[in-house]
Amino acid sequence: MNGSLHYDVVVLGLGVAGLTAATRLAEGGARVCVLAKGVGSTHLAPGTVDVLGYDPERVEEPAAAIPRFIAAHPDHPYALIGADAIAPALEWFAATLEHGPQPAYRYTGGLERNHLLPTAVGVARPSALVPQTMAGGDMRSNEPVCVVGIPVLRDFYAALCAGNLRNAGVPARAIEVDIDVGRVEANSLLLARRLDDPSFRAAFAARLALLVRPGERVALPAILGLRDPFGAWSDLERRLARPVFEIPTLPPSTPGMRVYDALVAALRAAGGRIVLGAEVLDVERSGERVTSVRAHSSGHDTVYGARWVVLATGGFGSGAIELGSDWQAREKVLGLALRGMPGPGEPRFTAGYFGPQPMSPVGVAVDSSLLAEGTENVFVAGAALPGSVPWREGSGEGIALASGHFVAQAVLEREGATATA
Amino acid sequence: MEKLSTDLLVIGGGATGTGVAWDGALRGLDVVLVERGDLASGTSGRFHGLLHSGGRYAVKDPNAADECARENGVVRHVAADCVEDTGGLFVTTPFDDPAYADLFVNGCRDTGVPCEEIDPARALREEPRLNPRISRAFRVPDASVDVWKLAWALARAAQGRGARILPYHETVAVHRDRDRVHGARVRDSRSGDEFDIEARVTVSATGAWAGQLAELAQIEGVRVMPGRGIMIGMNHRLVNTVVNRCQMPTDGDIIVPIRTVSVIGTTDVDTDDPDDHSVLQDEVDAMLDDGERLVPGFKEARALRVWTGVRPLFEDRKEGGPASSRDVTRAHALLDHLDRDGVSGFFTITGGKLTTYRLMAEETVDAVCRQLGEPRPCATSTTRLPGSGDGKYLHVGDRLGRRERELQDDQLICECEMITRGQVEDAVRQRGTIDLDDLRRLLRLGMGPCQGGFCIYRATGILRGMHGINTEQANEALLDYVRERWKGAWPVLYGDQLRQARFDEWVFQGLLDVEHFA
Repeated sequence: MNGSLHYDVVVLGLGVAGLTAATRLAEGGARVCVLAKGVGSTHLAPGTVDVLGYDPERVEEPAAAIPRFIAAHPDHPYALIGADAIAPALEWFAATLEHGPQPAYRYTGGLERNHLLPTAVGVARPSALVPQTMAGGDMRSNEPVCVVGIPVLRDFYAALCAGNLRNAGVPARAIEVDIDVGRVEANSLLLARRLDDPSFRAAFAARLALLVRPGERVALPAILGLRDPFGAWSDLERRLARPVFEIPTLPPSTPGMRVYDALVAALRAAGGRIVLGAEVLDVERSGERVTSVRAHSSGHDTVYGARWVVLATGGFGSGAIELGSDWQAREKVLGLALRGMPGPGEPRFTAGYFGPQPMSPVGVAVDSSLLAEGTENVFVAGAALPGSVPWREGSGEGIALASGHFVAQAVLEREGATATA
Repeated sequence: MEKLSTDLLVIGGGATGTGVAWDGALRGLDVVLVERGDLASGTSGRFHGLLHSGGRYAVKDPNAADECARENGVVRHVAADCVEDTGGLFVTTPFDDPAYADLFVNGCRDTGVPCEEIDPARALREEPRLNPRISRAFRVPDASVDVWKLAWALARAAQGRGARILPYHETVAVHRDRDRVHGARVRDSRSGDEFDIEARVTVSATGAWAGQLAELAQIEGVRVMPGRGIMIGMNHRLVNTVVNRCQMPTDGDIIVPIRTVSVIGTTDVDTDDPDDHSVLQDEVDAMLDDGERLVPGFKEARALRVWTGVRPLFEDRKEGGPASSRDVTRAHALLDHLDRDGVSGFFTITGGKLTTYRLMAEETVDAVCRQLGEPRPCATSTTRLPGSGDGKYLHVGDRLGRRERELQDDQLICECEMITRGQVEDAVRQRGTIDLDDLRRLLRLGMGPCQGGFCIYRATGILRGMHGINTEQANEALLDYVRERWKGAWPVLYGDQLRQARFDEWVFQGLLDVEHFA
């Protein structure tokens, strides 16, 4: 059975960029439908908002560093979006999370100064905006840290984390407190669901309290609840009478899922629609405009008519851009032109793992308004954009939020112009 | 530092060297083996894993075919636990000269390689991904062999007879007193300590490095022409039988299913340096095209990794040498330097191939015993190695079977290869190593499709939690591993494996930020 539906905007992709663009569009009054093959990178990412962490030295103050960064990287998404557009996107994100479905859960920080939060191996990682549940881990403080390992969680190793914290000058030690889940191994999500339960938290805190020492900050892997992270976090702080913070670790990412849940709730509240499990089959074009997208989901092929399309499907990591065994790269969803591909005979990758990799900044070719090359109504946001290496720059969420915001604004302005005309 | 004294010093810890150590120990000699890296980390660990039936040489090199045919059965018997009985097929594809098949049949008959022609339709039923246009198919007893398992089984067997096995000990000098070699000076590459080993006989089983080693003994003219070949490991077993193209041996004409993956090989490029591991883009492209000829759709599968191995093709400079390495004999060369150079107490065993490691070891230790004037009969063709006592072959489902039994007992650390926390801890304790690459060879840690994206952080955390391992060592183990993995990954990154690599980059460089350890 086939159907046909009409929207103002079809957004492709359900990561931070797609969710941001769609929610902003819906909030601005547009009729929006998000089509996504699956969830985006939220479930893999640490849940922090990284705007600019390395250039290539560690960035302390993103607000001060971004103009220099843009000047040095004129092809970077930030250069197209503009430094001034980043802060409003972050403010919107923080406000959206604060009013999200997780009561009182909020983010803290901004562009003035990066937090330096420990990774699961105890490295100080710079992030601009972070969950309040993580902020207490800032490594500028030399307040001692007690890192709590949970043996059943095979995705976090307290001794390694504490050892590197010490190497970085933060007094730290590791302890272990197990959680009985009735089996030999668990992931973060399973434990987070336990910690959503206040009675479980009380029992867990009572066991922890016997082991933590006065003056210590208590670090836990990021398992402090999925539905009620503020409750879990504040409850532990109160019961231990110690500062508590989370350290993000291997996927699945509980903090990332909180972001996903909050943005999806905001999108739905603003009237947007989500079709998850939708695979784009093809599109109809009229000249340089994409007029509809045909997608397959739940056994149906549906045509989604749209005046505007936002492509937020990600880059090589999501599979939306693919390098074939013929060494040709393709944007697989809409067949858009790419930018930045190494020429014939030029290296695609180089032998140094931490060295420059020519393929890394390849993305969909766009103009200065983030319109895809060769189209009049397809905007591009997030990791599909060319010119950045976000996992090295520490810029993934910053680009996703700022570009999602930017394209939503661009569509709304053009919609307004259309309506006026 | 202590000074060791022994009957037989074996230099080189590949299949041949560990084979010589085991053979010598089994005959009652006191043995010390030194290897500059991990066991089977040179040529032995850098091939496709084929236990030859001999079919590949049936036309071109009847002597090699005959040796392989005999040793295939012996290795299956003594080292069953390291062998997977995949069987092999030679198939005539539309790209092969159809006339070769009859030569092949005759060659197999003449050399004793068991070979049965089967209906191509039957071959396709057994291996449905094979090129459907094959015109003839022959069944041979090819198999795949886990060479790291084999080398360690040989080493453990030798240790059981008192041998001392010293990986990560590099030979820095060979002691020669006029016309007699009497041992060597070695350096422990981990501690930096050097010490002497006094030996009645020294055997160089250094393969492609035999010329370099001979020079340490001031013996000239031992030339091993390193023939460099690339192999590409594909995720999953695209075939479950070793598949060869029925043609004169050439590049990219064999796919070997081994453990969880399959390996296509190989190329042959002359090189001067046995430590040359360069991979040429043209070689990769040609290999992928070759895969496509045997298994249509090959290029859509994920290429995990490419590696190079150097064949030790012996060429004695005392005679005129041939032009290209593929034409040099695959047969092995045993040099008694007393006969050749008037130097006693020193032998070089090189050339050959993994399948004939035992035969090479037997001939070597025979010669050693002759020179010592102590006739001791060889028993390696009938004595089973540790782990192979019940004669049961390795099976790809073994780990899954064990996992199902132990589901409630131990955490899974590497999902791709089904390795548990207990296995990692046991391996670290038993081997006394903190090198994750050693654990890779021992357990296949990180060798599956995710190439360490999850398990390497976990293994590092486990290492750090173990007694006596500090944070710096654990960090270094992690960094060494990710750098080393990348070397084999980047030349074949495309399709879903690039997607996987991007995920791994997010984990290591983004989430963990391992580039910025304090």
